[in-house]
Amino acid sequence: MTPPVKKWLAAAVLLMVTTIAMAQPFDLPQLAEQLSGPAVVRGDFIQEKYLRALPQPLTSHGQFTLSRDHGLLWLLQQPIRQDYRITPQGIARRGEQGWQAVDPQGGSARQNQLFLAVLSGDTQALQRDFQLELSGAATAWRLQLTPRGALLKQIFADIEIQGGETVTRIELHETQGDRTLIRLLDSQTDLALTASEQRDLAD
Amino acid sequence: MPTERLQTRRWPAALFCLALLGLLALNAWQWRDGPPLSANLLQLLPDASHDALEGLATERMQEPLKRDLMLLIRHDDERETWRLTESLAAELRGSGLFAQVRERVQPDLPAVARQLREQSLGLLGDTERQQLIEQPVRFVQQRIERLYDPFAASPLPLEQDWFGIAGLALQRMPQPGSLRTGGDGRLIAEHAGQRWAVVHARTQGDAFDERLPQQVAALVEAARSAVETAGGELLAAGGVLHAAHGQRSARAEASLIGSLSLGATLLLLLWLFRTPRILLAALPVLVGALSGAAACVALFGQMHVLTLVLGASLIGVSLDFPLHYLSKSWTLQPWHGRRALGLILPGLALALLTNLIGYLALAFTPFPALTQVAVFSTAGLLGAFLCTTCLLPLLFNGRLQPWPRPLGWAQRWLQMRQALLARVGSPWLLAVFGLFCVGGVLQLSFEDDLRQWVSRAPALQQQAERIGTITGFQPTSQYLLVRAADADALLERQAKLSRRLSALQAEQRLGGHLALSQLVAPTAEQDRLRAALPQLLEASQPLAALGAATSNLQAEIERLQAQPPVTIEAALAGPLGEPWRALWLGAQNDGVAGLISLQGLRDGAALEHIADDVPGTTLVDQPARLNQLFAATKLQAGELKLLASLLIFALLCFPFGPSGALRCLAVPLLAALASLASLGWLGQPLTLFGLFGLLLVTAIGVDYAILMREQVGGAAVSLVGTLLAATTTWLSFGLLAVSSTPAVSNFGLTVSLGLAFSFFLAPWAIHQQDTPPQAGRPYGAA
Repeated sequence: MTPPVKKWLAAAVLLMVTTIAMAQPFDLPQLAEQLSGPAVVRGDFIQEKYLRALPQPLTSHGQFTLSRDHGLLWLLQQPIRQDYRITPQGIARRGEQGWQAVDPQGGSARQNQLFLAVLSGDTQALQRDFQLELSGAATAWRLQLTPRGALLKQIFADIEIQGGETVTRIELHETQGDRTLIRLLDSQTDLALTASEQRDLAD
Repeated sequence: MPTERLQTRRWPAALFCLALLGLLALNAWQWRDGPPLSANLLQLLPDASHDALEGLATERMQEPLKRDLMLLIRHDDERETWRLTESLAAELRGSGLFAQVRERVQPDLPAVARQLREQSLGLLGDTERQQLIEQPVRFVQQRIERLYDPFAASPLPLEQDWFGIAGLALQRMPQPGSLRTGGDGRLIAEHAGQRWAVVHARTQGDAFDERLPQQVAALVEAARSAVETAGGELLAAGGVLHAAHGQRSARAEASLIGSLSLGATLLLLLWLFRTPRILLAALPVLVGALSGAAACVALFGQMHVLTLVLGASLIGVSLDFPLHYLSKSWTLQPWHGRRALGLILPGLALALLTNLIGYLALAFTPFPALTQVAVFSTAGLLGAFLCTTCLLPLLFNGRLQPWPRPLGWAQRWLQMRQALLARVGSPWLLAVFGLFCVGGVLQLSFEDDLRQWVSRAPALQQQAERIGTITGFQPTSQYLLVRAADADALLERQAKLSRRLSALQAEQRLGGHLALSQLVAPTAEQDRLRAALPQLLEASQPLAALGAATSNLQAEIERLQAQPPVTIEAALAGPLGEPWRALWLGAQNDGVAGLISLQGLRDGAALEHIADDVPGTTLVDQPARLNQLFAATKLQAGELKLLASLLIFALLCFPFGPSGALRCLAVPLLAALASLASLGWLGQPLTLFGLFGLLLVTAIGVDYAILMREQVGGAAVSLVGTLLAATTTWLSFGLLAVSSTPAVSNFGLTVSLGLAFSFFLAPWAIHQQDTPPQAGRPYGAA
């Protein structure tokens, strides 16, 4: 039960914060409305995992592409190369034989509906499991997600998203003490996917 | 007539009344806790298991069918969905009918973590284990990749699972169905953009008990109307609801058939005999029903609803006794109850014996359902017979002057028959009859399916199918039983089967499966894994490069090496083992045994090959086996019919001699044949139940022949009696044809057709040359 919850959550948060980047702040419905704005958002990311057991954080970076209609491409480049994508069909990793579903047993399949909800700007989907608290101004806002249920509380203490014009920071605090910080840099909007992105997401 | 003789003859009635009181008391005692009715289909079926282990396995697999109830609730407003779900769950809990009600799960994460920490080597999957042993460097590399993976999560913190073995062990556990839990532990099923709240309940005790199904069904109906009033939707499925439906419809049918046939019969009697006293003729029927029920409950502990429905048709048969008796009042005038009885008694006794032979033949089929019907009917007939012979002569001792017209009709019908025979001749009629039979029988199709035994409930079926689609739970009655010398061998066999089943799943021929090998590895494999751990430590340099202290890695390897081998029992005992618990049958007399359960099977043939390829494996397909058994039992039904016919023949030889007996027996046998042919012409299949119905046709139909042949009071009056008896029997068996249980309906149709033919053929039982002594004269030669 635990890993899928955490998995979709990480993905959902990523998706949501990148899509609400252009939103007028302070009002969740307004934010949701803004989500369907740009067709494509691209940028770089830096992820830092602070694990209690390790003296330094695990730092990685790469590029992401979010398509309003097709899903998310997450291309990890340093220190290892690994491509991920989230589509309505689930989470997949690029392997030697092309895209491979991460959890073919069906674990990811059941999260699709949620991803779709997030993609279409359905903040209601996140509100089911989290208490959302929006503060700040349009140029510097902060969204705090606090788990509602006991199950999620066993995994996450809270999740904090910050942004200005675009989302700049996502921070996940795990209950057991580890935390993950994702920074999104140089986000650009576009009207369409490139041919190769189209191939990757539509494949 | 000397009064002294009259008085000595009163003792049977007195004795009978005493017995009747005892019977009433027995019935009252048996029904003290409500009607002892069961709707459990499984009780009716023969045990098709090949051995005790299979029986145990089947019981295990049927457990959820008997006890589980699944409820899905949906409302456009999600908060309303939760509110409705909470109140439903509270109501189910409050009812005290359920051992468990679950609308949310609260997984004990610390316990999961503990099991993973203590059993990670045993719980690790084949592929991962293979990789760890053969490519430790690659294994560590992938561990590091997972650490960087933003979408990968670990159940244990890094310091408790440096090599990620526990994480991998958890990841590969299959999750049956598409139920998931919300952040607050609520059970949710999502399908086609709709979100359903799920409530899973397990009833207290067996769902096929007497009152439980009705109470559960009432609860579900109340919940449904509450949810629908609030604008939501509720789906429910579970064996207990089917049981409730079966009980309800059987009770409704039994009372409909019972009251209609009894009511119509009583009206008929009133019309013919023109005295309210004739209503007392229904007494033997009541006594019959009471005796049948009492015998059934005494012998089987309870009565099945199917017996009740079929038993209702006994009304028609048990009424034959008083009808044959009272019909003699048309010619035996002035009516004298006891003297009439004296004349009719041999024929009546003969009729009882042939009926009993027919019903008892049913008892020797391997179907408990028919055994119950046989017991019910045998006891019922005896009760009715005793009541007719002991009580009726006293009750109908006075004047009895029936409406004379029917006798005239019967005489005219016999004359018409004679005229027809004179003009056409028996050989021609026989030829036409033969053609009809051959033509019909050629078109006859056999059909047997377990589903015919269950009362049709399309609404329930539809809901169950929707729930299956929404939740992904599509239980299949087929499963694999695997035996082996020890636990390791069992796990290896299951692993082999599991690989083949996964291939089927990839081809969409199977929805899913659960095997013990998915949970835990054989201890020999665990040992191999343990032996490979030092190489893993040697390959752990990249982890150290991330900052992991070598001493920590060393300690982790040592901790893993110290892990005791994980047995099946130990793995099942932990929270992760829950879904597999029912699959483990444990030590059996010559080894161990375990099951593999299947979901959403679309291709049964493929399974057989798989089972054949792996030693110690049996594919248990209960419905298919039963259907095969049905087919095999047809032969047995034929043998029983032959045996019953021979017995009846032997019995009839005493009064009628071999040729007369043959003539009497030919009537129901030809009638049975004609009934088969009619089914063919009507396009109706012959089911096993129908075939057993033909057994009854032989037994009941021969009565008509006997009574026609005996001709007490003349041919015409015998015909009237036979017509009356046949009409009332048709009323009850014919009404069975409207039953919503296909098997019962087919049974009713077959029997009523057979009895119709028996009636029309009955006059042929009269031997033209020999005129019985009593024929045409009141009281005959007496």
